[in-house]
Amino acid sequence: MDSKKLTKDKFGGFIDLLSKQKLYVPQMAGETLRFAPVDSKDEVNLVFSNTAVPPKSVLFPQTETLYEYEAGGTEMIIPEGPEEKVLLGVRPCDARALTIVDKLFSWDIDDPYYLKKREATTIIGLACQEPGINCFCTSVGGGPASTEGLDLLLTDLGEGYLLQPLTEKGEKLCQDAGELLVDAAGEDNQAADKVHQEAAEKIVRNINVDGIPQKLEDLWESPLWKKVSDACLGCGACTFLCPTCHCFDIQDEMEGFEGRRCRVWDSCMFKEYTLHTSGHNPRPTRRERTRNRVNHKYSYFVKNFGTIACVGCGRCINNCPVNIDILDILSQVVKEAL
Amino acid sequence: MVDLEKLKNVAKDTVSREDVKYLIGWRQGTYGFRVSPLFMTEPEDADKLIFSPLCVNNLATYLTLAEKLPVPRGAEPDTRKVALMVKGCDSRAVVQQLIEKGIERESVLVIGCPCQGVLDLEKVEEKFPGIHSPVDVQWGDDKFIINLPDGPQEVPREELLAKKCLNCRYPNPVMSDVMLWEEVEAWGNGEYADVKELEEKDSQARWSFWQDKFESCIRCYACRNACPMCYCEDCVLDRLNPQWIYRSNNISENTVFHLARAFHLVGRCIECGECERVCPMGLPLMTLNRKLVKEVRDKYDFEPGLDPESKPFQSSYRPDDQEDFIL
Repeated sequence: MDSKKLTKDKFGGFIDLLSKQKLYVPQMAGETLRFAPVDSKDEVNLVFSNTAVPPKSVLFPQTETLYEYEAGGTEMIIPEGPEEKVLLGVRPCDARALTIVDKLFSWDIDDPYYLKKREATTIIGLACQEPGINCFCTSVGGGPASTEGLDLLLTDLGEGYLLQPLTEKGEKLCQDAGELLVDAAGEDNQAADKVHQEAAEKIVRNINVDGIPQKLEDLWESPLWKKVSDACLGCGACTFLCPTCHCFDIQDEMEGFEGRRCRVWDSCMFKEYTLHTSGHNPRPTRRERTRNRVNHKYSYFVKNFGTIACVGCGRCINNCPVNIDILDILSQVVKEAL
Repeated sequence: MVDLEKLKNVAKDTVSREDVKYLIGWRQGTYGFRVSPLFMTEPEDADKLIFSPLCVNNLATYLTLAEKLPVPRGAEPDTRKVALMVKGCDSRAVVQQLIEKGIERESVLVIGCPCQGVLDLEKVEEKFPGIHSPVDVQWGDDKFIINLPDGPQEVPREELLAKKCLNCRYPNPVMSDVMLWEEVEAWGNGEYADVKELEEKDSQARWSFWQDKFESCIRCYACRNACPMCYCEDCVLDRLNPQWIYRSNNISENTVFHLARAFHLVGRCIECGECERVCPMGLPLMTLNRKLVKEVRDKYDFEPGLDPESKPFQSSYRPDDQEDFIL
């Protein structure tokens, strides 16, 4: 399907259409932005800074009930299947991240909780126009208008949005929108290309990732890991806010006679991560844990799935309280391996 | 005034000592206004050290955060000292750790850096956005001199001062083995305007204020880990049996987490503001802690982290302690 155009006076009508399903847009929660369901149309405002919490939190929530039970009972009460959802205003980096998380959750065993939600969700991206200070998506295979993982990509052209349908879900949405949309003219497409190109030019930070997976393997015992992890506090800011980090822990939690088995985000930066019952931990210090974080993204995942598990959104760099900077670590890896 | 040459020379001499394991100081970060803690073992690394209004991190947390792996059979444990650079607020954390016997006096060598107040990172990054190259910042008279890539800019001190510094009463280290330069005059009066403002609201309004904040917590535990006073080896939050606090992220568990942490800091919080600074969700955690600091000061005339020879708050009963608020 060819591109469409939505003028801004029709935006309200478009939101009404999307609201037929449960609509999630970036909204303030406390002091920061994250994807949350819309209660009223007034809340929909497509802002240009990215959300603090990535949209993975909708498909892979921090806490997810797998089933409920009663004390002494034998019956599992499995929650109802997910409702149809639309995520509007997803950054292309975060949508690419979902394609990475998809690989893990459909690997050896399909994860029904994640995959059903993924299937029931339409993802509408918004091309990035204001890359952040630590963005480096173009170094890891993405870009401010990357389409991977998206059903529909919007580009803000000022007076309206250019809509590029990318999947059947996206095409269906455009069909349903009917007269709200007009066919995009050649100049609209050119204008969008220009917006995309200008955004890409604003990205300053970069890394050449060629050979890094092998270099990481070679540097397994390097003193580098001690040096880059000295200052680490062992908090989970980098991993919890990472759009591709997907480690979880499973917990049984009782309240009165009612219990739930749930999964919650886990972080390889935590002391209790992979702690064995015996008390032994194969990653006993922050040196091993930092090494794991970098290797998982730039080595193990590449080996298992053929792609780097980092989309260059910069959140781990922005949010580290002690300035542990993954690009700095990677550039040291490159230097050290020479 | 800051004497960077002296700082570097002291650092070189310190790490050359046989009884010193390493020195923890600050160095310029990888971009913009960020700094990073530097763990220095070699004298030649002294050139990386800085002391400027960017040095916000309280490095005292590393004294107790250091991981102690089991000593191999036949080997001697490493008992060398850790040398630590401290500002006034940071030094109170060291003192409080000593009071609580969390560390031993012989294990630490304190290098005092009298401080004129550090920058609020959020404010400075908002004022000068998008700066990639590392920026040097200096103290001037009642202003910060910010050496941007296109030339120096002067900004009035009040505009960019970190919240914790606005009302600082302890800019000079309260203990040190070496004091690097002359002390500065304290400017704070110990008012708790933010706490008072919240106290004046009714309980419903106060709860909805905190509810909104606690709901957005992601439980990354950056606040706990950055806190120099949160050093229990077996933290109540990590306990699995019994599990006092569930891992589920919801308003109930998140509230328990923050209140448990706040109560464990009663009479111990030295107001370095690290918990609030490191929170990626921007929770005003110091408002919670300062409320309890204020209670302890008003009711018991007690302040933690000032005298290593003193007793911890909970074991410092005095016959004339107020008791009119006890039911």
